Amino acid sequence: MFVYEKRLQYPVRITRPNPKLASWIISQYGGPDGELGASLRYLSQRYSMPYPELKGLLTDIGTEELGHLEMVGTIVHQLTKNLTDEQIREGGFAAYFTDHTTGVYPTAASGAPWNAAGIGVKGDVIADLTEDLAAEQKARVTYDNILRLSDDPDVTDAIRFLRAREIVHFQRFGEGLRLAKEKLGEKNIYYMNPSLDQ
Amino acid sequence: MENKTSVACDVMEGSLPGACASMVFPYVAMQGENPQRYNQKDALAIGTLFPGLHLPFFKETQQRMQCGNTALCELMALDFAINELGLYLDTHREDKEALQLYTNYVTLAKEGRQRYEAAYGPLQQTAVTLSGGYTWLDDPWPWDAKGGEK
Repeated sequence: MFVYEKRLQYPVRITRPNPKLASWIISQYGGPDGELGASLRYLSQRYSMPYPELKGLLTDIGTEELGHLEMVGTIVHQLTKNLTDEQIREGGFAAYFTDHTTGVYPTAASGAPWNAAGIGVKGDVIADLTEDLAAEQKARVTYDNILRLSDDPDVTDAIRFLRAREIVHFQRFGEGLRLAKEKLGEKNIYYMNPSLDQ
Repeated sequence: MENKTSVACDVMEGSLPGACASMVFPYVAMQGENPQRYNQKDALAIGTLFPGLHLPFFKETQQRMQCGNTALCELMALDFAINELGLYLDTHREDKEALQLYTNYVTLAKEGRQRYEAAYGPLQQTAVTLSGGYTWLDDPWPWDAKGGEK
């Protein structure tokens, strides 16, 4: 069960419209390494996790990612508020505008709509947690790239916060993997799949 | 050339600085118990409660927006510390000091939530009151320009 709380995890207060920047940041809403994919990946991987620490970790990080999705949506929304006709035309925003006006649609910056092909749920504790480690690094790099592109300190501030979270999540998934390994308790950790084989 | 550390490690192990570890397995060191922490306000501003996990990118601006002393910022900072300690406890359930800190923050956040809701209206739909009316719908919503601060 999920309950909505009417606030962001971290404040987003953007005052200057910047549709070009929005058209890049939208990738963390619906792109291959974005927050929508992150939350669905973790919340879906939970079901086949054999150990309570990992059920908890995937639930808690997956839930936090939903909060990040809301933050990214808010950034895009605030960057595209009260645009002039000129601002809509300039900076490569017109293509997005044609399809979605200033609605927030889950798409990659490169134009591909959100796709579950960008996430993995393998039903195996080592495979899934290793995917999660990679996912956090890919999201971290995407935020690095946005930090390179951003010329608005208000945007940079929120993106910087989101980037810092990826590093913490990477650490926790790495620790989760270590805990799993201890539980596997075998010389050969690949001997069986503990989600399936008893 | 003989690698000394590999000689010391088991046949299924490779060497790490000062230790042996299993091969064919990704390695992330466990964070030590009761790790050093920022206070909750700095933690929110930085994006982690733990100095050990604070690894900024060189393009970041050093100047950060300081969330003010508003009821919302105080609640955000407390809930952030709770979120961060919760993830830590997921992988360190035996750390009693972290658990103690976690429960302290939960108590403080309960009070903070009540203060915020008394001043600005419900954070959850069920926090509406008969005398106050159905204030759940009141602007601003979190994505609006002022982001929940009135």
